[in-house]
Amino acid sequence: MIKFDQVTKRYPGSNEALKNASFTIEAGELVFVTGHSGAGKSTLLKLIAATEKPTSGTVLIANQNISKLKPSAIPFMRRKFGLIFQDHKLLYDRNCFENIILPLHINGITGNEASKRVRAALDKVGLLQKEKAMPITLSGGEQQRLAIARAVVCRPSILIADEPTGNLDAGYAADIMGIFHAFHQVGVTVIVATHDALGMSAVQNRVLHLNQGQLTQAQSGFDGVHHE
Amino acid sequence: MNNWINQHVQTIKLVLGRMQNNAVSTFMISLVIAVALSVPGLFYLGVDHLSKFTNHMQDETQISLFLKLDADKDAVQEVEALLKKNKSIKDFHLVNKENAWQTLKNKASAANETDSKVVDLEENPLPDAFFIQAKSTEPDALETLKQELQNIPSVEHVRLNTEWAKRLSALLTLGKKIIFFITTLLAFALLVIIGNTIRMQILTQKEEVIVSKLIGATNSFIRIPFLYAGIIYGLFGGVLATIMLMLAVMAFNLSVQALSTLYSSDFSLPIINSDLFIGIISFAIFIGWLGSSLAVSRSIASIKID
Repeated sequence: MIKFDQVTKRYPGSNEALKNASFTIEAGELVFVTGHSGAGKSTLLKLIAATEKPTSGTVLIANQNISKLKPSAIPFMRRKFGLIFQDHKLLYDRNCFENIILPLHINGITGNEASKRVRAALDKVGLLQKEKAMPITLSGGEQQRLAIARAVVCRPSILIADEPTGNLDAGYAADIMGIFHAFHQVGVTVIVATHDALGMSAVQNRVLHLNQGQLTQAQSGFDGVHHE
Repeated sequence: MNNWINQHVQTIKLVLGRMQNNAVSTFMISLVIAVALSVPGLFYLGVDHLSKFTNHMQDETQISLFLKLDADKDAVQEVEALLKKNKSIKDFHLVNKENAWQTLKNKASAANETDSKVVDLEENPLPDAFFIQAKSTEPDALETLKQELQNIPSVEHVRLNTEWAKRLSALLTLGKKIIFFITTLLAFALLVIIGNTIRMQILTQKEEVIVSKLIGATNSFIRIPFLYAGIIYGLFGGVLATIMLMLAVMAFNLSVQALSTLYSSDFSLPIINSDLFIGIISFAIFIGWLGSSLAVSRSIASIKID
């Protein structure tokens, strides 16, 4: 599903954010990307989401080399992903419902079918009652759940979350992690970047640990756990 | 298909909603477009009407032939016979001095001019006259005919009516060229203004552009609302321009009315000129679309995600 081969990313005027990273993520896995801030977690996720291109090496997503994608093909590649950000990236000039319907419109889905799917997504994250509310009136945890609803409304096969619990207190964070586990259980590939070791210590899942751009525990997987 | 229409309807609703939220600035930009278009529009109305008027004049009597005041009935018949024989004359009619006199007096009393001297005149000051239409409209041919007619003994004066009309229509052609030039200049100005407005909007909606890009929107999807905004600005501006033109024509007609009754004429401009109005509105829409599409591609490409 996702294959990194000797991937290096260097931003102009800085050190390598990612050095010679090689790993594979299979469909349906739940993977945590850990490391201190600045260790290259965000870079890794951006490479997966095709918002950055590698300086060297190859990134294959569903057998497509993202370095060789035409600019016009990138939007369609991104539709395979549901992206979740630490700062939510919600649109504050429209209500919850309208925020969630945007990806559906981008995919050309409108009308009743779109409304149904918006409500299903809001229901999944427990915000069905808030569809008319403006995002600014929601709590931090609710805003993050809204962002998750937006990421999953198009039923992507891969969910990518960059520090989704970074700004949340422990209760909300556990909530969010619960939602990710639920998606993992129905077969969605979930990739979560977090510096929050506590949140994941409880669960035994595959971890990609980054230290100053170096992937240190890439293949210390728990294959046995996954394929059960 | 249904989906596609639905999507565009949604987009237009979204754009209109945003415009409603910024009603003042929407009105301002529409007003700018309207003013820029109504200036050449007004010129055009004037020139167009005048040139229709002169064309009409040219179709009518081309030569007026006035007999000497003392010419008698025989002389009139003699001239009439000569005119009938002349091969370069298509048609002519006689207005004898009694009829002309009567018409003039009627007109004067109808216009109710108290200071008119016409009714006070005791003697008929008018000559017998022939109004002639030549077969040819060529200036040279008309000039020869004029000379020919001038040589008839009882003829006092021959006048080519078309000369001033020709000069006027040449002037009007020049006027049309000037209108074209002004319109082109203003169109460029409008492109810049609309382009800038759209660019500003894209910047204020930068968040939305970034988020849309991140969740897989194609550039054309992101462009569409801004293109609609340009088109709608054009539409509003065009409609506003036609309203301004109608008001201007109404005001013009009011002041012209006083003048034209003095000249016993019913000259006035039509308030609704549908060809011009449709032209202005479609031109404004086109300019709106062009201005926004020029601005949009570059601005959206310049917004980098994260």
